[in-house]
Amino acid sequence: MKDTIVQGLEQAYYNLVHMIAEFLPRFVVMLVIILVGLLVAYVIRYILRALLRLTRLDRVSEDAGASRVLRMAALPSMTELLSRSIFWITWIGFILVGVSILGVAGLQEQISRLFRFLPEIFIAMLILFLGLILANFLSRAALLASVNAGQRSPKLLSWSIRFVIWMLAISMALEELGLARQTVIAAFSIVFGASMLGLAIAFGLGGQDLARRALERHLGDSEKEKYKEPQPL
Amino acid sequence: MADETYLSDDLLRQLMSVGEVDLLVGILSHSSANTMRAAARSIENSLQQNFVRQRVAIISVDGGAVEDAASEDSVDPQTEGIAFSKGITSLRTIHRITAGFNSAPSAGLALRTILASSDLLRAKACAVVSPATSSTSPDWIANLLRPAFRDSFDFVAPMYSRHKFQGLLARNLLYPMTRALFGRRIRELYSDEWGFSNRLGAYCLTQDVWHEEPIRTRPEAWMGISAMTGPDFRCCQVFLGEKPQPPAGSGPDIVEALRQTVGSLFWCLETHQSVWLGRNGSEPVATIGPDHAVSAEPMDLDRARMFEMFQSGVKQLEPILHTILSSETHTNIQTVATLDQQTFRFGTDLWVKILYDFASAYHHSVINRDHLVQALVPLYRGKIYSFLMEHSDSSPGDMEAEGENLCLEFERQKPYLIEKWKAGVEVKS
Amino acid sequence: MALQEDSLWYKDAVIYQLHVRTFCDSNADGIGDFVGLTQRLDYLQELGTTAIWLLPFYPSPLRDDGYDIADYTTVHPSYGTLEDFKTFLSAAHNRGIRVIIEMVMNHTSDQHPWFQEARSSRDNPKRDWYVWSETDTKYQGVRIIFLDTEMSNWTWDPVSKSYYWHRFFSHQPDLNFDNPAVFEATWEVMKFWLDMGIDGFRLDAVPYLVEREGTSCENLPETHAVIKEIRKRLDATYPGKMLLAEANQWPADVRAYFGEGDEFHAAFHFPLMPRMFMAVKLEDRKPIIEILDQTPAIPENCQWCIFLRNHDELTLEMVTNVERDYMYDEYATDKTMRINLGIRRRLAPMMENDRRRIELLNGLLMSMPGTPIIYYGDEIGMGDNIYLGDRNGVRTPMQWNGGTNAGFSFADPEQLYSPLISNSVYGYQVVNVDSQKRSNHSLLSWMKALIRTRNSYRVFSRGTMEFLRPSNHRVLAYVRELGNEKILVVNNLSCSAQAVELDLQRYKGYIPIEMFGRNLFPKFGELPYLLTLGPYQFYWFRLRRI
Repeated sequence: MKDTIVQGLEQAYYNLVHMIAEFLPRFVVMLVIILVGLLVAYVIRYILRALLRLTRLDRVSEDAGASRVLRMAALPSMTELLSRSIFWITWIGFILVGVSILGVAGLQEQISRLFRFLPEIFIAMLILFLGLILANFLSRAALLASVNAGQRSPKLLSWSIRFVIWMLAISMALEELGLARQTVIAAFSIVFGASMLGLAIAFGLGGQDLARRALERHLGDSEKEKYKEPQPL
Repeated sequence: MADETYLSDDLLRQLMSVGEVDLLVGILSHSSANTMRAAARSIENSLQQNFVRQRVAIISVDGGAVEDAASEDSVDPQTEGIAFSKGITSLRTIHRITAGFNSAPSAGLALRTILASSDLLRAKACAVVSPATSSTSPDWIANLLRPAFRDSFDFVAPMYSRHKFQGLLARNLLYPMTRALFGRRIRELYSDEWGFSNRLGAYCLTQDVWHEEPIRTRPEAWMGISAMTGPDFRCCQVFLGEKPQPPAGSGPDIVEALRQTVGSLFWCLETHQSVWLGRNGSEPVATIGPDHAVSAEPMDLDRARMFEMFQSGVKQLEPILHTILSSETHTNIQTVATLDQQTFRFGTDLWVKILYDFASAYHHSVINRDHLVQALVPLYRGKIYSFLMEHSDSSPGDMEAEGENLCLEFERQKPYLIEKWKAGVEVKS
Repeated sequence: MALQEDSLWYKDAVIYQLHVRTFCDSNADGIGDFVGLTQRLDYLQELGTTAIWLLPFYPSPLRDDGYDIADYTTVHPSYGTLEDFKTFLSAAHNRGIRVIIEMVMNHTSDQHPWFQEARSSRDNPKRDWYVWSETDTKYQGVRIIFLDTEMSNWTWDPVSKSYYWHRFFSHQPDLNFDNPAVFEATWEVMKFWLDMGIDGFRLDAVPYLVEREGTSCENLPETHAVIKEIRKRLDATYPGKMLLAEANQWPADVRAYFGEGDEFHAAFHFPLMPRMFMAVKLEDRKPIIEILDQTPAIPENCQWCIFLRNHDELTLEMVTNVERDYMYDEYATDKTMRINLGIRRRLAPMMENDRRRIELLNGLLMSMPGTPIIYYGDEIGMGDNIYLGDRNGVRTPMQWNGGTNAGFSFADPEQLYSPLISNSVYGYQVVNVDSQKRSNHSLLSWMKALIRTRNSYRVFSRGTMEFLRPSNHRVLAYVRELGNEKILVVNNLSCSAQAVELDLQRYKGYIPIEMFGRNLFPKFGELPYLLTLGPYQFYWFRLRRI
């Protein structure tokens, strides 16, 4: 019995030592990998940043209007954004590789699942985020345009646009996550159809004036002739 | 990388042939080849008579319709050998250069092409004109060129005689604000024609701004502001006669005009802040010819609708204005907007505060900058309505005095802007 | 080398213009003479000139450089005798050089016996040989040519107590060509010289022969009738002789003096001359192209005579006011350089003694359509003396060598008809024939080569001319063509190097051969032909298809 206990203890001790002996190098390797990963990520970020500056990506993005969106979302410049993302992706990759070296069963499984799902979550969030920005932006643009054109119900248009874009963004995000695909599509169709109908009715009742003037403009009876403003310049 | 290639091989070849010139006239146009040709001809006549000894070239920057123009030019590459008269006419070949683009170039690109050409041709003075105004008076082009060519001015702004209800944007906003901030009294910065020296041209050409949106759409005021703020540039104004009005509906409408001009002015505030933040008051610039004049024939305007649009704008845009304006200003404008048509007056103090709030909001990017400028439109309409009401019977003299008051108000309140400009973004509930 | 029979000789000629007085003095009296001129004919032959145009050598009070003639049928005693003239004439002919003399038809000197008789009494038969009037109000509005000296075209004659008409100086009364006797007397004079063997006349002041009320009294049909009659008689009796018109008018007006090939054989192209100077100063070909574009075509047997400088001022009558101001400002900054409507300077000083510009202008002169005229001394780059009165500054003695009186005369320097040019830049010690003969690269040697080249190709004198219009306006390029002879001339009018692209597709396959060095240049192809030219450089290419 004593022997058994001693043997058990010895075995445990042996196992522990063995485990530690086995784990410690792995842990060190993991740490090394993570550190190397950090270094590599830094280097990659540095090179990428230099490359992007050289190709004047910021100017292109400014021209394309992308920078403006970034500014609105309080995000750094396109170059900065891209190089930072790549930095993190690279480093996280290294970290995960390092963790996998530890050989902890289950953890590896979880990590790989997370890994698989991670991009989708990321993309879904991005879609929602962009949708939010776009909805804000477009609805305000519509509001300003209709106010400045002297239309009667500018808020209606602005709210409709915001609503439609939200719906679109949400449904796309869900689609991306692959959640209850059919349900979402059905739900979206119903909401979208309803809102369109609502809009149509709203336009029909509230926007008669608007429609009339839009028609007039197309038919050549220019609104400008009736409404004379002094020329600004 | 696109920087080095905006001058086409064909243009470079033409510039090489022209060699060095004394004067260059650039025509900016998005119109048809026909008006372009007519403009070039009228400008050429004027140059023939006014600069008989100087080496002169005319460059038209155009897109689309170029092939037409080019084909005519190839028949008659220069004006040599045709109609010989014993009257006053230039001794030299007057060159016509066509800078063709596949599609209509932006105003900024067109101006940049002219500046680059002027630099390569080593022109001592250059004028930029638009075809619409080319027929004004025979000597106007010479008047624009001469100060820069002969009297070593660097920037020559035009001045016109105008109807008293024309050019209201310049009178109520652009001129007083530019004057107060940059400290030089130049009336017309947003005109279709102006002149400049090779020094100013070269200076502007080297600025790294040509990809910016305000420069692409409306570079002219930026050039004038560069002259006011750059190193030792001399500015002057020259009287060109009556400002021809483009036919109704052809020019930009109020929204577009504000987006372009005010947008570009705000943008210039941003880029030239190191200069204007330190300037106080304003000084007059040399004026050549008679001072500007105002005529007063009756005009058919829909005032009631203007007021209505002001009122509804203040109401509908409430959340937007809230983020832009200071609380006090916002409350004031809301109060004023509730008055009825007869009693409503837009005070200069309020107007100046609004503009300074807008400028600083632009600086801090509280909302999209283009949207910000658009939000100004209803308020501008209100101001114009008030202006028309106050001045329906005013004499030009009264209006002049009133205009001067507005300018002084802008100058007086400049510290308010500076304070807001330097402070961080105001956080609003 | 005797004269070759060719009735169109004047089209191929290179004319040398000189005044006997200025060229060479054989008898040490300080004034050049025919004997001296005869001695110097070898020089003119070497130079390559094929004709001499003599300025007036007739007896005269010399108040207008000999254009005030007192006797039409002999030689001024200072210049020798009629026999000396005959010797000169045959010596010239022996060297293949033709002689053109002056015929002043429009007016005589007031010392001429005809005028002396005419003024002597109102009944004198010669009274009607001149234009008289009781008042000075006839022919009002007719311009005065010598604005600097004359107030009116009428002058009061105190002898016969009436006014006489004169278009030039008041001592030069106009002959009355409405009187047939005057015409016959003139023809007699011409016959006198033609019989002696001269080859042509330069008719002075042609447009002013006849006066009519209410007109400008210039270029009248009656004047043309007089010329036509002279030409008819000349062709009938003296074939191969030529008439050269001095008509300082716009080309379209001068064109009338060629008639249908039945008036003058040749006429000066006055407006072209100032424009060549202007083009070089402006660095722009516009003036030259403009004036040649509006020069009308002339009959087959006629020819333009072109020149850079002559014994008169560089006339600026045939330019616009703007152009005249420019010429004054650029070429006659000093007011003493100006006289009447012109500039009294020689070629070299006007070109600031810049050899490249002098060569360019001579290159233009020799390659443009027309018979070139070289003013004596310009072939060696002689200077002028603007401080001598009138136009005497460009009429100083020819500079033969660096010795006594420049080799012009053995008289005392004080005795010379005019002081020599003796400054350090243009003085005879520096600029003279002998020193330039010693160098193959002197202006004189270069001029000889230029004239020799011109004389080897008829295309220069008789060919058509077509401008190429490259987009570089500082380059003047043209193609001369006569049958198979094709010559491309490219001139850089500017003071800096230029590149030019010439459209020579029409001559695709031709090989250009540079005419002075005879070097081949790349063949013409489809693409624009690229040439680069140094400051004021010009090329003459013969185009050959091999």
